[in-house]
Amino acid sequence: MIEFDHVTYTYPDQPQPVLHDFSLSVEEGELLLVIGPSGSGKSTLLRCLNGLVPHFYGGRWRGRLHVAGRDPVTVGPRGMSDLVGFVLQDPEAQFVVDTVEAELAFAMENFGLPQPLMRKRVEEVLDQLNIAHLRERPISTLSGGEKQRVAIAAVLTLHPRVLVLDEPTSQLDPQAAEEVLIALRQLNEDLGLTVVLSEHRLERVVQYADWLLYLPGVGERPIRGEPAAVLAQVELTPPLVTLGKTLGWQPLPLTIKEGRRFARRLFSAPTPSVPSATSDPPGKRRALRETQRSSPAICVEGLRFSYDDHEALRGVNLTINHGEFIAIMGRNGSGKTTLLKQMVGLLRPERGRVEITPNLQPPTSNLQPPTSNTQSLDTRHTSVDDIVRFVGYVPQNPNALLFADTLAEELAFTRKGHRLPPGDDMPLLEALGLTEHVHRYPRDLSGGERQRAALAAVLVAQPQIILLDEPTRGLDYQQKRALANFLRAQKAAGHTVVMVTHDVELVAQCADRVVLMAEGEVVVDGPTRQVMSDSLVFATQVNKLFRDPRFLTVEDVLMAGRLGDW
Amino acid sequence: MSFEFRVPGFEFMQTYHPITWLIWLLAATLPALLTRNPLYLTLLLLASGVTYMALERRSPAARSWSAFVKLGVVLLLFAVPSNALTAHQGRLVLFRLPESWPIIGGPITGEAMLYGLSSGLSLLTLLLIFATFNSAVDQARLLRMTPPYLYQAGVIAAIAVAFVPQMMIAAQEIREAQRIRGHRFRGLRDLLPLFMPLLTTGLERAIALAESMEARGFGDIPAAPSRRQTLYRAGTLVSLLALACGAFGSSYFPARRTLSVGLMTAAGMGLLLIFWMQGRGVRRTRYMRWYWRRQDTVVSLICGGVAFVLLAMWLARRETLLYYPYPPFSPWPDFQPLLGLALALLALPGLLLPGTEKAAEQKAKEQSDYSIP
Repeated sequence: MIEFDHVTYTYPDQPQPVLHDFSLSVEEGELLLVIGPSGSGKSTLLRCLNGLVPHFYGGRWRGRLHVAGRDPVTVGPRGMSDLVGFVLQDPEAQFVVDTVEAELAFAMENFGLPQPLMRKRVEEVLDQLNIAHLRERPISTLSGGEKQRVAIAAVLTLHPRVLVLDEPTSQLDPQAAEEVLIALRQLNEDLGLTVVLSEHRLERVVQYADWLLYLPGVGERPIRGEPAAVLAQVELTPPLVTLGKTLGWQPLPLTIKEGRRFARRLFSAPTPSVPSATSDPPGKRRALRETQRSSPAICVEGLRFSYDDHEALRGVNLTINHGEFIAIMGRNGSGKTTLLKQMVGLLRPERGRVEITPNLQPPTSNLQPPTSNTQSLDTRHTSVDDIVRFVGYVPQNPNALLFADTLAEELAFTRKGHRLPPGDDMPLLEALGLTEHVHRYPRDLSGGERQRAALAAVLVAQPQIILLDEPTRGLDYQQKRALANFLRAQKAAGHTVVMVTHDVELVAQCADRVVLMAEGEVVVDGPTRQVMSDSLVFATQVNKLFRDPRFLTVEDVLMAGRLGDW
Repeated sequence: MSFEFRVPGFEFMQTYHPITWLIWLLAATLPALLTRNPLYLTLLLLASGVTYMALERRSPAARSWSAFVKLGVVLLLFAVPSNALTAHQGRLVLFRLPESWPIIGGPITGEAMLYGLSSGLSLLTLLLIFATFNSAVDQARLLRMTPPYLYQAGVIAAIAVAFVPQMMIAAQEIREAQRIRGHRFRGLRDLLPLFMPLLTTGLERAIALAESMEARGFGDIPAAPSRRQTLYRAGTLVSLLALACGAFGSSYFPARRTLSVGLMTAAGMGLLLIFWMQGRGVRRTRYMRWYWRRQDTVVSLICGGVAFVLLAMWLARRETLLYYPYPPFSPWPDFQPLLGLALALLALPGLLLPGTEKAAEQKAKEQSDYSIP
C-alpha cells in the first residue's frame, strides 16, 4: 500500500535532510505507529504520504514513493485526496466551514459527487464515528474529542484507502483521546483501513499497532519492527515498558494485562497493607502539614462563578499552603481553569472570596512561621498588577504569550512589566534546558521548547506561587520527565505550585496533594498517594499493575526493590 | 451517566426553505421602502411582528435580535417628539412654544408629529423584517448557496465567518497572558505584545487550514481553455461598460430613457449569461439538506404575488403609495382595502409555521431537563 524507496528529503534553507535514504513498506490494512522525539521528522514523513511534502513546502526530494498505486510527488495533495485522508494535530485549525454536516460534505463537494451519494456517505460516516447527534452543531461548540472525530469523518467521506493522522490526540484530554483512538481502532479492524499515525501517548495505542517506526532524529537510522522489539531499543517508553525493561521482563509487556503476570511473580508473598518505608512516617508528615497549615498562601472560600448562564464554580472551598505542590484534576469543563484564573485575579468571584497571602520571608525559609505583618490580598479589591507580583500564571497555550524576536527579549519584557531590574537569566534558562536557544525566535522552537520558553517568560519575575494550566500538552516522555524535575526543584526552593493537569503520571511524580473537581465543585481533596491509589480513572500505569498504594511510579517500585521488599 | 453539553441558540431548525424566506424578505422590504403611509406601515409592522413572534417561540436565535427590535421602538418613540419639536411646518397647530427659544421655538404641528411617526415606523418595520429573516436563516448556510461561478468566493466568506470567533477567543487568551506578565496598555508601542501573537497564531492557523483544504481536494478547478476564458473576460468587461453607460445615460438624459434602460437590460442579461457559462465549467456539487414543503410553495407564491402587486402599483399608480403630511398634501393618510389585505398576507409565514406545537413541546422537555439538579 505504501512504499518508500530510498527517499531523501530536505526542507528549503535547511542544511540537513530530515529523511535520509529512507525506505519503508506498509501492507494494506496495517496500523503503523510512528514515534520519536519532537523534531525528528514524524510530521514530515506523514506529509509525504499525500504529497503535502514536497508540494506545499518545497525543498529537495530524491527517491521514489508509491501510495496506493499513485505517486504523491507527481500528482500532488489534490490528486491524492481521494486516496489518503489526512488529519492534523490541532482540531481547531482544520475546519473550513462552521457546522458539522457542511464540514463532512466539503471534500465531496470538491469532487463533484452527486447529491444522493453525498447524503448516503454523510449518514454513513456519522454512524461510523458515532457523531450523528452532532450533525447540526456548529463546530466551535464541540469538545476537543468531538472535533477530532469530526475531522476524521470529514476525510472518510471520500472513502480513502489510507488514513494518516499527525498526533491526533496530543491536544486532547485523556477521555477525548480515548474516544478518538477507539474510533481509529474500529476503522482499522472493522473496515481494514490502512492507518498511519504519530503519537506521544504510547500507553494507549501501542497494543493496537502492527508495526512501530521509531525516528530518532537527524543522522541516526530509524528503527522499524514489532512494537515490543522496537520499544526494547528506545528511550521514550511508557512507565509499564520502562519498568519491564529495567526488571528484564521477557517478552516485554505492552498492556496492563500482560504486565500483571510479571507483577504477581514479583510479589509472591501477600502484600502488606500497612504503609511501608517508602512513604513518610505518619508523625513526620503530620508535623509538616501542621506547619504548612499555619501559613496559607491561597485561601478560597465559598467561591461561585458563572459564564453567561453556565455555572462554572459552585461553592469551592480550598486552602493551599506555602510550599505545597497541588495538582487539580477533573474532567473538561469541571471548572479547573476557571479556578486557576480566579487565583490570579483574571476572573473575580461572584460570591465568596479568594485571598492571596504573600510570604514575606525569603522563599527559601518558608517553614518558619509567617511574620505578623503579612498582608492578605483579596482578589475582589486588588488589581491584577498587584497580584502578579506574587503569583505567576502560565496559560495552556504558550503561543498566547510569545511574541518577541528572541527568548532573551521575551524575558526582558516580563522584567520590565514587573519593574524589575535587568538580571542574569542564565540560571533559569539552564534549569529549563533552554540556554542554547536564548537568541532564537521563540516561535521557531518545538512544542516542548515553546512550553518551557513560556514557563521561563513567566518565572523570570520569580513569583512565589506558580500556577500552571496543562503544562504537558504535546510533550514526549523525556520532556515530561525534565518538566517534572524542574517543578520539583521549584518546590524544593520553597515555591508553591498549583498545576491543572490530566497527566496522572506527572501528578504521581511531583504533587503532594490532589484536588479532584467535578461540575464546579471540589469532590476529593487529599494526599496524592491516597487519592490516586483508590481511583479507577486517576490510577497510574504502575499502580494499576500492582494494585498497591505504595507504588505509583517506576521509582517507587525500584526503591522498594532496593530496600528488599521483594 | 453521560452528560451532553447542549448550547442553546445554535441549532437552526428549518422553518421554511431559505428561498422562501428570501422571497418573503423581498415582499416585506418593498412596501417598507416604497411607502411612508402610517396605516400601511402599521399593517406591515403587525404582519412581520406576527412572523417574528412565531419564530421567537421556537428559535432561540430570535431572542438575540430582540435587542435590535427594542432599539427600533426607542427610535420610534424618539422620532415623534424630536420631529415635532424641530419641524414647524403645517396647518394643524397643536400649541406654540415661545419664538425666542432656539430651534424648538415656534408652532408645534400635527403634521410634524405624523411625519415623525411615519419615519420611525418605517425604520422599526425594516429592523423587524431583518431581525425575522436573520433568526430564520443561518447566514453561513445562505453563503453556501452561492451559485457555482461564485463558489470560491462563497467558501472564502464561509471560512471568514468561522475564523472570526476563533480569533476573538485567541485575542482574549493573549490579553490575559500578557496581563500576567505585567503588560499594561499605555501607548501604541504596547500594542505589539498583543498584536504579534495574534498575527502569528492567525498565520499558523491559516497554514494548517490551507493544508487541510488541499488534502481534501479544494481548488481543483479544471481550467477552461484559455481562449474561451479570454472571451469571457472581454464579455464581462463590455457588459459592465454598457451597464455603466446605461446608468449614466438614464440620469443625465431623461428624455432617452428607453434607450438607456434597454442598454442596461441587455448588459445585465449578458453578464448573467457569462456567469452561467463560466459556472458550467466548475465541476462541483453542493450538499444541502433542505426540504421544499407544501407550505413553502404556498408562502412563496403568495409573497411573490404581494411583491408583484406592490411593484406594479408603484410603477403604474405611484400616488396611491405616496404619503407626505405637509401642505399642500393632506395629513390624513389614504387607505385602499385591497392593498391593506396584500400587506396583511405577509403574516402568512408566521401563521403557517410548521410544527410549532412540536417545537414548544421539545422546549418544555429541555427546560425540565435543565431543572434537574
